[in-house]
Amino acid sequence: MENDNFVVQMKGITKVYPNGIAANRSVDFSVKKGEIHALMGENGAGKSTLMKILFGLEQPTEGEIIINGEQVVLSSPTVAISKGIGMVHQHFMLVPSLTVAENIVLGMVPTRNGVLVDYKKAIEITQEVSQKYNLQVNPSAKVMDIPVGMKQKVEILKALVRGAKILILDEPTAVLTTQETTELFKELISLKEQGYTIVFISHKLKEIKQITDRLTIMRGGRSMGVYETAATSEQEISRLMVGRDVLLNVEKERSQPTDTVLKVRNLEYTNKWNKKMLDNLSFSVRRGEILGIAGVEGNGQRELVEMLFNLNTPDGGTATVNGQNIINLSQDKIRDNKVSLIPEDRMTYGIADIASIEENVISDRFTQKRLNSGPLFNMRMIHKESDQLISDYAILCKTRKQQVKMLSGGNIQKVVVARELSSDPILIIADQPTRGIDVGATEFIRKKLVELSRAGAAVLLISADLNEVMELSDSLIVIYGGKVVAYFDDTSTLDDIVMGEYMLGLKHQSPEEIEKVCHD
Amino acid sequence: MFDQFLSTILKADFLFSIIRITAPILFAALGAVVAEKAGVVNIGLEGIMSISALFGVLFSYWTQSWLVGVLGALVIGVILGLLMGFFALKLKTDIILAGIAINMIGGGGTIFLLYMFTGMRGNTGALVSQNILIPTVNIPLIKSIPILGEVLSGHSVLTYVAFILVFVMAALLYKTSLGLNIRAVGENEHAAESVGISVLRIKYIAIAISGAMAGLGGAFMSMYYSQGWNSGMIAGRGFIALAAQAMGRGEPVGTMLSSLLFGFAQALRTKVSGLQGVSSYLVSLIPYVFTIVGLVIYAISTTKKVRRYRETQVKAAE
Amino acid sequence: MTDRRMLVFNVLRGAAAIFLALTVGFIFIILSSDEPLTALRYLLIGPIFSIRNGILSFNTISFYTILAAMIPTIFTGLAVCVMFSANQFNLAGEGLVMLGGFIGALCAIYLKMAAGLHPVVCVVIAAIACGLVMLIPALLKVKLGASEMVTSLMLNYIIMFIVLHFLNYNFADRSKGATQTFPFEATAQIPALVPGSSKLSWGFIIALIFVVIVALFMYRTKWGYAIRMIGINQPFSKYSGMKVGATIVLSQIIGGVLSGMGGSIEVLGRYNTYLWRELPGYGWTGITIAILAKNNPIFVPFAAFFIAYLDKGCQLMSTYSDVPSEMIDIIQAAIFLFFAAEQFLAKYRQKVVVKNTRLEMAKAETRAVSTERRNA
Repeated sequence: MENDNFVVQMKGITKVYPNGIAANRSVDFSVKKGEIHALMGENGAGKSTLMKILFGLEQPTEGEIIINGEQVVLSSPTVAISKGIGMVHQHFMLVPSLTVAENIVLGMVPTRNGVLVDYKKAIEITQEVSQKYNLQVNPSAKVMDIPVGMKQKVEILKALVRGAKILILDEPTAVLTTQETTELFKELISLKEQGYTIVFISHKLKEIKQITDRLTIMRGGRSMGVYETAATSEQEISRLMVGRDVLLNVEKERSQPTDTVLKVRNLEYTNKWNKKMLDNLSFSVRRGEILGIAGVEGNGQRELVEMLFNLNTPDGGTATVNGQNIINLSQDKIRDNKVSLIPEDRMTYGIADIASIEENVISDRFTQKRLNSGPLFNMRMIHKESDQLISDYAILCKTRKQQVKMLSGGNIQKVVVARELSSDPILIIADQPTRGIDVGATEFIRKKLVELSRAGAAVLLISADLNEVMELSDSLIVIYGGKVVAYFDDTSTLDDIVMGEYMLGLKHQSPEEIEKVCHD
Repeated sequence: MFDQFLSTILKADFLFSIIRITAPILFAALGAVVAEKAGVVNIGLEGIMSISALFGVLFSYWTQSWLVGVLGALVIGVILGLLMGFFALKLKTDIILAGIAINMIGGGGTIFLLYMFTGMRGNTGALVSQNILIPTVNIPLIKSIPILGEVLSGHSVLTYVAFILVFVMAALLYKTSLGLNIRAVGENEHAAESVGISVLRIKYIAIAISGAMAGLGGAFMSMYYSQGWNSGMIAGRGFIALAAQAMGRGEPVGTMLSSLLFGFAQALRTKVSGLQGVSSYLVSLIPYVFTIVGLVIYAISTTKKVRRYRETQVKAAE
Repeated sequence: MTDRRMLVFNVLRGAAAIFLALTVGFIFIILSSDEPLTALRYLLIGPIFSIRNGILSFNTISFYTILAAMIPTIFTGLAVCVMFSANQFNLAGEGLVMLGGFIGALCAIYLKMAAGLHPVVCVVIAAIACGLVMLIPALLKVKLGASEMVTSLMLNYIIMFIVLHFLNYNFADRSKGATQTFPFEATAQIPALVPGSSKLSWGFIIALIFVVIVALFMYRTKWGYAIRMIGINQPFSKYSGMKVGATIVLSQIIGGVLSGMGGSIEVLGRYNTYLWRELPGYGWTGITIAILAKNNPIFVPFAAFFIAYLDKGCQLMSTYSDVPSEMIDIIQAAIFLFFAAEQFLAKYRQKVVVKNTRLEMAKAETRAVSTERRNA
């Protein structure tokens, strides 16, 4: 009886991937009919996985799902759709050259005589459904010409027109401007009034406070509980969302930073959806220190790293390494300046998967004289160097000839790290260096970063793992909305709760305090 | 020299020959269009044309009906397309390699097949008689129009079919639900799959249609243009078709225009090679050089277009 | 699965593919021939064995002919190995073989030099010229993104017509019946390796030397390494600091040089005048060989031998029985389709294997770590 106003009940959901990572641990999640329910958590907390399971894109390792009182197995999105569940993904599933109407009716196209598309009917259907749900769209416009806000409405209509009564929106405001966000919220409330249920995945505190009824917080794959939005303060939410379950202890001597190596000044960048991702960003990194960048993903970290390694161009600002500009400099010249990058996407940038460990580990140095004798490689030196690196970095493998893709995730990352850290860099940019890898490799890589920084390198650490960024860094900045909102020059005295508040935009330091990170 | 040139190309019979020469390229190019729309690269058009050309002649000889020959060539084209699809989509052979394999069969394999079916070697000389070739049509009213009549009337049935197919193809792609699905699959497979469209099925259909087009192109060559099949008769038209499709922005009407351009180049070569002191070889170069030049111009304009498009996207968002 | 097991699996898979392809060929033979068994006999054992009075004996001349046939295809096979390793589907090898042969021939006719030096100079000039011609599709690809496939295909026809033009208008020996050039200087011809009708010239040795050179180049030099890495993962290569555009161009130039060498060495080794009036077809064979060799130069001679053997078998079949020699194209196409397909089937299998291996290793690692922790 108590169940009959719950449309969704997920009980004891556990999801363990084949590589051993547990994305969801015995999670309970319930949604009442007609409510807007927020699902919150940092990246990696497990909320996307949970929703993928709800939409039939993934299967739980354990647990059960009850929709409208009926226990179901959501084996595919088609099944989920038939149960009235619709999902609006973060990356839209639209066909750019087709019109709004065509996209909405795709897969269930109205026809005259079974062959010719009845475009009039498609437009009618679109207009009907657009008016019914009060989501204004232009049926005849091509999707590639409409603004992002409208694209999202099209996605919502797509779900509604297929009979969804439960809508899952995955970080819907990530790509919207403020105005579009306001409009979206109006529409969501209107849908709620018509009896629809909405699950709203986000980590933006202010928005969640604005329109949600209840919220579920996830952290480290577990649910931290369900709360009434109105009765919970932003600080409390922040404390629950951002925190460390187990304190990491990284042994390191105090850092004694010396001269500045990397100077980032006034970086500006607006992305193709007109969102300002970098807003007058400035900071410096000195020799002998690990400067961490803490922040929820999507606040400009990605863009910053791209600017520093010529994968993108900023609209304004400078970045120099020992005075030498590195913006738009070709990667081989950047490396000549003794800069190394441990990339976030190791499979795309970090390795050539079917090449051997040896071939991967020399990719940044294979033209150097010491590895070549005349026109040929000096194989003895190359073997020696690879073996040395394999041993120094404890890469678990059969031989140096083994294909990198055969290694475990942690060892693949160690191959990347072995290469990047062994070129004697003076600036190391480590982007999510221990994401998705096992404990042993993680510990190893962290130790190495400390070792190198104490030996005089400057390390810029970007990590969504709060533990890591707080424990591993000597000093850190918090980035929010493409700006530095806090600078802490001594991480050993930091507090989770305070960190959370800065990361979620509840607090920010004064400009004078922030300026200190420039060390001018 | 230039007025000699002008007076050559502005004659009705020259324009007539442009249409005639364009038709096979157009067929194959339409095949390239539909394949590309579904996200499939069909470089086996050349081979399909050659093989279908052979079978067109064989079928029409065996049944003494040109219609059966043409339809047979079409069916063979479909089968070859599906074969490519099977290897590329199911067994995951690189589709480009699958295309090259078909071209190989179209090369020496056809000579072999000819022998296997008829015991003849190299060409179908003795088999072909007037009644099994594609008939020409003199359109009643149009043929009487001065100049235009000479240009437009008197082509083979298949020639008219080629140009009509341009609009059929456009209708298929833009007016039918199949066309909608094809374009969706070609542009964003995930979007298509998320609404329940079978991406695999659509790609098979597209490559089958592509093969059918090339089949008709082959039939055109052997049963009208060259009046018989001989090895090497396709002479790269299947590849020129790829360039025509690219230059035509992958759209049926645009492809028709670029095919006409290539047809013009080849017609020019035929015309000019008759002139005194001109090497037939250098003149044969014209269509192929044209193709490269065309591709270059297209590539330059695409880069510009993409840049301009990106700028408008930014503006639209503002 | 151990690495050895993987290797055995791959070899068996490849053999299965070839077997399937041959079976397809057999079916066609059975369908088209009145005496399929004789035809098959000529195809399979004819090339190096002859049966006289029921006695099987090794036919040395025939064997040498097969080796001779390998000369141009080893070069084109090497050319394709290099270009495909960089992921460039450049198919102009076909035309450049013809161009290389022609230029080499012209140097052989109109330059006067000493015997040892002459053929070397001819081949070098031909190779360099062909390498430069490859700049066209290469630069168009790198600077403008134009498909190197279409441009290279067009280039084949363009080269053919240019060569034919010059052959007919400028360099033809009018005293001969068929269109051909004047005869080469005796000093230019590449001497025979083995006496007799097999036409096995020293070009064969040169081809083998180049197998070694190209293998060393691909696996033991920085340029070959860059070519291969770029072919495997371009973003990774760029990020590692490699010069992607220049390397792509280099790979195609090398392809051109090797194809040109193949053409000139073949013409100077086999003939005493230039007489190719159409594209000789070695380029396409080169692709088949590269696929069989999995882009590894070391395997090229073996693949080339296999194809040359089959080709000879098809020729014998057509001479002594009633199956046209063009059967070789059908077999080649089938090999293409099955061999390259199997590669992907295997990739799928490998994924499963990789997953298993990684799982094993992860388990082993966690076991090791937890043992450590317990002991600590």
